[in-house]
Amino acid sequence: MSIDKRITLQQAAEIVKNGSKLTFSGFTIWRRPFALVYELIRQQRKNLHLVEVNGGPQTEFLVGAGCVDIWESCWVGHELYGKYGANVSRKVGTKELIVEDYSHAEMMFRFAAAAQGAAYAVTQTSLGTDIHNPEYDMLGKAGLRDGKKIAKHKYIFTEDPFYDAGAQVLIPAVKVDVAVLCVQQVGEEGTVRVNGQYYSDPEAARTADITIAIAEEIVPEEYLRRNADQNTIPSFEVDYILECPFGAHPTGMFGRYDVDGSFLKDFYGRTRTQEGFDDFAKEWIHGHDHMSYLEKLGWPRMLNLKANTALNYSKREKKGGK
Amino acid sequence: MSDYAKPEEFGLADLLCCAASREVSDNEIVFAGTGLPMVAIMLAQKTHAPNLKLIFEAGTLDGRPPELPTSVGDARCEMGASRSSGLNDAFSIAQRGLVDLGYLGGAEVDQYGNVNTTCIGDYLNPELRLTGSGGNPDINSFARRTVFIMVHEKRRFVENVSYITSPGWRVKKWPGGEWVHRRELYGAAFRGGPSAVISTAGVFRFDEETGLMYLDTCHPGTTPESIKGLCQFDLDISRVKGETELPTREELRIIHEVLDPDEIFIPKVKPV
Repeated sequence: MSIDKRITLQQAAEIVKNGSKLTFSGFTIWRRPFALVYELIRQQRKNLHLVEVNGGPQTEFLVGAGCVDIWESCWVGHELYGKYGANVSRKVGTKELIVEDYSHAEMMFRFAAAAQGAAYAVTQTSLGTDIHNPEYDMLGKAGLRDGKKIAKHKYIFTEDPFYDAGAQVLIPAVKVDVAVLCVQQVGEEGTVRVNGQYYSDPEAARTADITIAIAEEIVPEEYLRRNADQNTIPSFEVDYILECPFGAHPTGMFGRYDVDGSFLKDFYGRTRTQEGFDDFAKEWIHGHDHMSYLEKLGWPRMLNLKANTALNYSKREKKGGK
Repeated sequence: MSDYAKPEEFGLADLLCCAASREVSDNEIVFAGTGLPMVAIMLAQKTHAPNLKLIFEAGTLDGRPPELPTSVGDARCEMGASRSSGLNDAFSIAQRGLVDLGYLGGAEVDQYGNVNTTCIGDYLNPELRLTGSGGNPDINSFARRTVFIMVHEKRRFVENVSYITSPGWRVKKWPGGEWVHRRELYGAAFRGGPSAVISTAGVFRFDEETGLMYLDTCHPGTTPESIKGLCQFDLDISRVKGETELPTREELRIIHEVLDPDEIFIPKVKPV
């Protein structure tokens, strides 16, 4: 591969195919690759299988737009800005979406196993809950457990054979085609530096067959290599890079900008129905590119979200609901 | 001598927050989720438990946020933290058995402390799909004690929850689904379980042998009988100790002037 890993947003979206298994960087309403999520919706990607340690607004947008057939995760909502995932909820009701529930730690450990090249992880979390109810193996019920991209079993129950620690659950490593990260800095050769909590980004990058890093800025590789101990993901685990300022908006990015709470509240309030979602998408997604989206947001709003460089968050953005 | 506030000086959210805060002891390692639990734990940090170690699920270890984060992924979590990392660390620490106490929420709870945050109605044909588990079962599986903070309505305190998202004292052993005591199922990972449910009506605890919930204290304006009437199961009210300890004026000052002046999670009571 050439050392130049730069691609455009449009090319990045084209790497994600109809039916791809896809995952993202970030955590709930933080550091989600929204610029690409919008582009996937514009390109009308279909039949995606999202495999997420946890969901968030990105899940809601893709599901609302009809891009997703399967969502395998543990949680979706907008934190303080929307109680639950109204689009996921609606499409579960109409059976347009298959949801496979694991617990949060289970999803994390499934990614950690995949990142180690292991076939499965073993854990004692969530024993005794309906997460382990065999009747609720939704991918199994749909006949999709082919043992290739989707594990043959949702769980295997066993006992600790080494120390007699009791009941154990084996959970399959995830298989992921594409991971899309949204980070503060990437070097020209792909080295990623995440500031703040790195959530499950290192495991996502190592697990996926293809990793795309969308960064607030592309910086000289040599600059990042001066302090290699501060870097998060090694160059060779990143296949493509692109620079996209405010690429995580409306989610937040440590040290750069806060979550746009009023945007998420507006989205949550307006997209309980399909008509509402389509109307929102018409206003904010279709007919736009990333720059015209930012123009529509406007500089005053973006400056308000901009993080204080000493505190790493904004002192201007009003958080309160009252 | 504590300077307790008068009933007109605080709201239910204040009472819940202070009751939750009193569940933690100094030097404990605590896992706190978004919302009221976060305020409760930061209140404890600023009052009787200055050396508690706070873990946020997204990867902040021993955090001392100077102002209230809006979620556990927030940049505000990390100010003053011992280490900022990721979820694999946070959940490994929990599974390793280092967590004393977790604060969680739920939409429904049964008499064994099984909690549902996944769906209302039949899972295969739900009336309403909710957020899903998040870290609720994970923290509840591994912490020594778990405190649930909940809105109290009869439809939420039920005989059987629609879906057991988070394990109580008696749980289902899969693949068969037989009810067993949590201790039997968790083996070496058994460290405890739900220690309190703090609802908008009262504080509830569990008999660890039978696994059954009982009423511990009543909030002002309720009686054991009125609370029993707000449960679909037969609530044990024989062990009730009296009224829930009220917030002090100092606690109210910290909540509203220091922790949540913008009323993100806890509204101020307006003087009449």
